[in-house]
Amino acid sequence: MLYFSELKGKQVITDTGVKIGKLTDLVFLAADQPIITKIVVDTPRGEPLTIPSSHIKTLIPPITVTSDITEDSLSQNELYITKNLLDHQIIDITGNKVVRVNDVVIQERPTLLIAGVDIGFLGILRWFGIDETVGKILRNLGIVVTSRFLSWTDFQPLELTRGKVVLKKEQHKLDNLMPEDLADHLEQMTAENVLHVLSLLPEDRAAHVIENLNITFQSSLFAKFTAKRSAKILTRIDPDEAVDILLTLTETKRGQILLLLPEEKQIELNRLLTLSTTPIGNLITSEYLTVSPEDTVRKVLTKIKDQTRHFSALSYVYVLNKAGQLTGVVNLHELLLQPSDTLLYRFMTPSVVVIHLETPVEIAVKKMLKYKVEALPVIDSKKMIIGIVTFDDLAETLLKKL
Amino acid sequence: MNYFRTLTRRLLVFLAVIGPGVITAFADNDAAGVATYSVAAARYGYSMLTILIPITIVLAVTQEIGGRIAIVSQKGFADLIRERFGIRVTMVMFLLLATVNFGVIVQDFTGLKAGFHLFGINPTIFLPAATILLFLFIVKASYHTIQRFFLVLIFFYLTYFFSAILAKPDWKLALTSLVIPTGTLSFGYLFTAIAVLGTTVTAWGQFFINSYVKDKNIPVENLRYSRWEIYIGAILTDLFSLFMMVAVTATIFVHQLPITDAAQAAISIRPFAGPNASALFGLGLIVAGFLGAIIVPLTTAYAFSEFFGFSGSLDEPFHKSKTFYLLFLIQIVAGLLVTMLPNISLFSITLAANFVNGAILPIIFYFLYSLANNRNLMGRYQNTRIQNVLLVGAGIIITIASLLGIIGQIMRW
Repeated sequence: MLYFSELKGKQVITDTGVKIGKLTDLVFLAADQPIITKIVVDTPRGEPLTIPSSHIKTLIPPITVTSDITEDSLSQNELYITKNLLDHQIIDITGNKVVRVNDVVIQERPTLLIAGVDIGFLGILRWFGIDETVGKILRNLGIVVTSRFLSWTDFQPLELTRGKVVLKKEQHKLDNLMPEDLADHLEQMTAENVLHVLSLLPEDRAAHVIENLNITFQSSLFAKFTAKRSAKILTRIDPDEAVDILLTLTETKRGQILLLLPEEKQIELNRLLTLSTTPIGNLITSEYLTVSPEDTVRKVLTKIKDQTRHFSALSYVYVLNKAGQLTGVVNLHELLLQPSDTLLYRFMTPSVVVIHLETPVEIAVKKMLKYKVEALPVIDSKKMIIGIVTFDDLAETLLKKL
Repeated sequence: MNYFRTLTRRLLVFLAVIGPGVITAFADNDAAGVATYSVAAARYGYSMLTILIPITIVLAVTQEIGGRIAIVSQKGFADLIRERFGIRVTMVMFLLLATVNFGVIVQDFTGLKAGFHLFGINPTIFLPAATILLFLFIVKASYHTIQRFFLVLIFFYLTYFFSAILAKPDWKLALTSLVIPTGTLSFGYLFTAIAVLGTTVTAWGQFFINSYVKDKNIPVENLRYSRWEIYIGAILTDLFSLFMMVAVTATIFVHQLPITDAAQAAISIRPFAGPNASALFGLGLIVAGFLGAIIVPLTTAYAFSEFFGFSGSLDEPFHKSKTFYLLFLIQIVAGLLVTMLPNISLFSITLAANFVNGAILPIIFYFLYSLANNRNLMGRYQNTRIQNVLLVGAGIIITIASLLGIIGQIMRW
């Protein structure tokens, strides 16, 4: 994750080290996928260069481009960040509260695009390079200031081309979202609001969205659903996920729901449920490291050296918030690539793939393969981390079963 | 009959757009303005009147541009600065505006304090009480009530007309001086002239008229009515400046009495024009103080909301526009505290603060120029050539005069 404020005015060089000029603007596509297509570089000769983003090697300063750069002009539907987005006011339809785009959040992987905008006070301070200092002072005074982030999925890209930054109306917004994105979005809300939003959706879509929520959210939602509604939703979602959810419920409720399912589905889920007799609990290891989102990379590296000497392996560092809940994960590769003063929350992955004590081994393995991770954190209903399971331990258990 | 109906309709539209231009223009003659005009007239007499017509033109032209930008773009001045010039320029402008405005707020409270004193009201008790009432009024009252309150206050400016009559001035000389320069040009005169200009054509006035017009939601069709409302406001306000200066000149300047603020002017008028003139002058000062003490801090609060993206409108309840109202409160309380400090001489602050106010005008004019000539923003309502000539001309003259004035002050010429 990068901020536009950290890129503007930065030197752009070629991979052979030739200085080209300073980055002044980024060009993006006014679409649902706001891909950054070009960068604008102010050259010392005065003529600004518009370079297609395919030439970018990295945006993390020093911004590097390939030496065979070409020039390109703007095509239709392309807009500038400074001219069309930054500093503009956003009109929130619900509260009519006027906020401003204080900074633009850019995501480099998997594609270079605008992830959203920062509308918080820190976004203003960042332009003056004092966001971290002021943040630190306020933290010491007991005031926690965080960035206020609005995701791109909240905007109407079409309105941008008309010179306005407008938020989508709730209904309209929900219809156009991918279930995965909507789930990410919903996880920021309270369970009551989520229920409200889900009730606006057609059942099939609601089921898809629930499938994509994290397990803590899923279990708290199902605890509120009636058995009938739960059954309806469970028939529509992936059996692996369904079992995972059922296992978080009380045995009586689980029984009620199962009885309401179509026979075929009932048999399938029952089979998966019996598999879960191999408890994850036996495979858990406590060889994991947790850090705070406000730790610097340097501090985390020191922690690794000091606290993980006796570990048999270490692939991830887990990030816990003040309440001790799991809020992010960083793999070692990402960690080593970052400058040592970067704060962890700046680059951690906030949506962590997790399992529960009740999760069947088979499902845990499937999740690992699906998300390509080597270890999974096991959390309880309060999102507290209990331990982790590693792929080799899980594979061993499965082998024994064969 | 038809003609009559059209006329009535036009009058009604005009009454509907009334407010921003007149109120802003009169607020430009707040207690700080009264003080500056008094001191200027006491020092230079009728010769200072020569500056009034140019000031009126600059005020009318710039306020009209500001109002037009707000009506056409439906955005405030601060909104546009933020969107078109970025956060760094915005921050500098906000700090400048907040500082200059605070200087004016202190002067307005000083004016109130002196005015209270004049009528034997104990300021130590009643000034804080008035401040609290002021805050509650702004928070509780609706936009329309506040506007009506402003219009009532403006009515009290007539007091200057009567004190001018009572002072028995040399009207012929006064009117001649209005069009024909009679004084000698010195650096002191320049410095004072800029200060007078700075108290009438103000940075905050530009921000205020813009936010106010935007808040009033005047449709583009009524642009020309709004334009005349602004022109009339400028002419009226300077007409009362004229009365004020004439009253001071005919009494204090003629007898060469040294005064340093408006309250002293009110006192010094008494022996020559009688107790009624003095009381009227004092009453005018109190009204001007209230007007300024509300409008100037409101401007900073409006500008902050627009600059940094907070909800801010007089029509919103306290809990919705918390930052807006708190900023207003902080400013008036700070202004009150500075004023209540014992033994503080505000004479040098008065002229200096208004000088700075005048000196940052070219920056404001630059923004006005660049916004009002932007085709994307203004469409067919861009500035005309004559408006541009007046705006740029005024900017250049003020810049030169400010530089000369400040050099003069430093070198003590």
